[in-house]
Amino acid sequence: MIFEQILFFVAAAGAIGGAVGVVVLRNPFFSVLALVGHLLALAVLFLLLRAEFVAAAQVVVYAGAVMVLYVFVVAYIGGIEEPIGPSAGPLRVLGPLFAGVLLVEIAIATIGSGLRAVSSTGPAVADDFGSPEAIGALLLQKFLIAFEAASFLLLIAAVAAVVLAQRRRGLEEAGGETPLQIGRRPPTGPQAEDPAAAGSGGPAGRAIDERTPTVAQGS
Amino acid sequence: MTAAALASAAGAAPLPLVPLALSETGPVWVQLVKAVVIFVFILQIVPMVLWAERRLLGRFQARLGPNRVGPAGLMQPLADVLKLVSKEASTPATAVPWMMAIAPVISITTAVLTLAIIPFGAPGAYGGEFALAGIDVSIGLLYFFAFGSISFYGLMLGGWASGSKYSFLGSMRAAAQLVSYEVAIGLSLLGVAMTAGSLSLVEIVQAQDNIWFIVPQFVGFLIFMVAGFAESSRPPFDLPEADAELVSGYNTEFGGMRFGSFFMAEYIEVLVISGVAVAIFLGGWHGPGPEWLGPWWVLLKMLALVFLFIWVRATLPRLRYDQLMTLGWKILLPLATLNVLVTAILVVLL
Repeated sequence: MIFEQILFFVAAAGAIGGAVGVVVLRNPFFSVLALVGHLLALAVLFLLLRAEFVAAAQVVVYAGAVMVLYVFVVAYIGGIEEPIGPSAGPLRVLGPLFAGVLLVEIAIATIGSGLRAVSSTGPAVADDFGSPEAIGALLLQKFLIAFEAASFLLLIAAVAAVVLAQRRRGLEEAGGETPLQIGRRPPTGPQAEDPAAAGSGGPAGRAIDERTPTVAQGS
Repeated sequence: MTAAALASAAGAAPLPLVPLALSETGPVWVQLVKAVVIFVFILQIVPMVLWAERRLLGRFQARLGPNRVGPAGLMQPLADVLKLVSKEASTPATAVPWMMAIAPVISITTAVLTLAIIPFGAPGAYGGEFALAGIDVSIGLLYFFAFGSISFYGLMLGGWASGSKYSFLGSMRAAAQLVSYEVAIGLSLLGVAMTAGSLSLVEIVQAQDNIWFIVPQFVGFLIFMVAGFAESSRPPFDLPEADAELVSGYNTEFGGMRFGSFFMAEYIEVLVISGVAVAIFLGGWHGPGPEWLGPWWVLLKMLALVFLFIWVRATLPRLRYDQLMTLGWKILLPLATLNVLVTAILVVLL
């Protein structure tokens, strides 16, 4: 019992600390990492609730796949030097207000129902509760329609993302950079399409030319 | 693991408190012995694999390889470790020092934790009723994926916290690579999970009594191995540390045993992927001879796959970045999806 309680309080503190960290930390990269910590702590809590499949899915899908993309994007776009600026305008008032309302609501729910079960041992659970088989049976038999509707919704979202990305391709035809060219210097030297134009590609291209004389210009 | 013992001692709920610690894995002392044996054994194999790799690479490239320290160079890994331990763990001025300190820890911890699910022997092979695996969980394969995806943060944080552009580019490549190949590796194992009707590695091995899954799931095996190479960032998928372009990628700024931890994590990961492949496709402990030979069969098959890793490293050149993405998304992913589809139809029909 002691081990379970210690684990619960460590995970609960981790979950709350992570959630607070997401909001409080000024550096977006650390915010994302706090969110990762929060999600991992939630996975431990799921494990304590004997929902091992949900815990594993939580780690694989959220901490693994979704947060990797978050970290990826934030590491590229938001550097250490660019912390999020102070929030301005109505958000400064409305944000804490809504957070407070939510806190009161959850507190009412917890005190009203959850606290009554603290001294009891909790409901009896079946042996295979939370196992992949049990979850699969629930999703594909009892909640089949809701499950399929959710997957259909995700499919629509994925198709919509593709369509939106497709529309932006108009930029590329108008002379923008292709994804392969982003961040690359224009080719210089013998690799340039037009050797005569090599070296006039811009400040970055010229910087290279000063150190490495190109063969194409010499011949 | 101690939770179950504490619960029964207190006379409370007979169910184990943490579902990961199923009672089939044996009493607490057995679990401790298993944990220590697996941990120590695999950790001793790592230097040997390192030595074998360098010697074999020498053979592949028509040179000798390390042969000066000890007989046939066998003491070379020891010398390397001594050198690494005595080196300074420096941090660049632009770095985030505490994050640089924990990144190698994340890498090596997740690698070692994944070791726990590799089944080494049949339940009861060495007496008792428990399986010869660190743990036997019902979510087996998902456990492997879960820690595989956390291990990415070791690379990512290490590269980002170094405050160096080479490191950063290396960790960005690692992120893109892992995201791309995790899908394929997951789908490649789905076929086996459907055929065996379980995610537990012990049950998957037991389901291979008659025929190893490499035969009906050959496509899945190929996808798993290719994606496994990519997941462990081994050549020809070592773009995160491509030394010709990025100095040493995400671990450029790491020195001493911090670098050594990354290095060791990579080799443990190779062993883990080999072990999981053995359990899932190569029949695990099944082999001729009495049942107690099981762990040795697992080890033999694992080392054969490790040899394959080394062989491929010596043979194939590194992929270009667009080739890496094309292979992952346009070849492996459709192939794996098709494999799952065909397997699903066959499982229902047969």
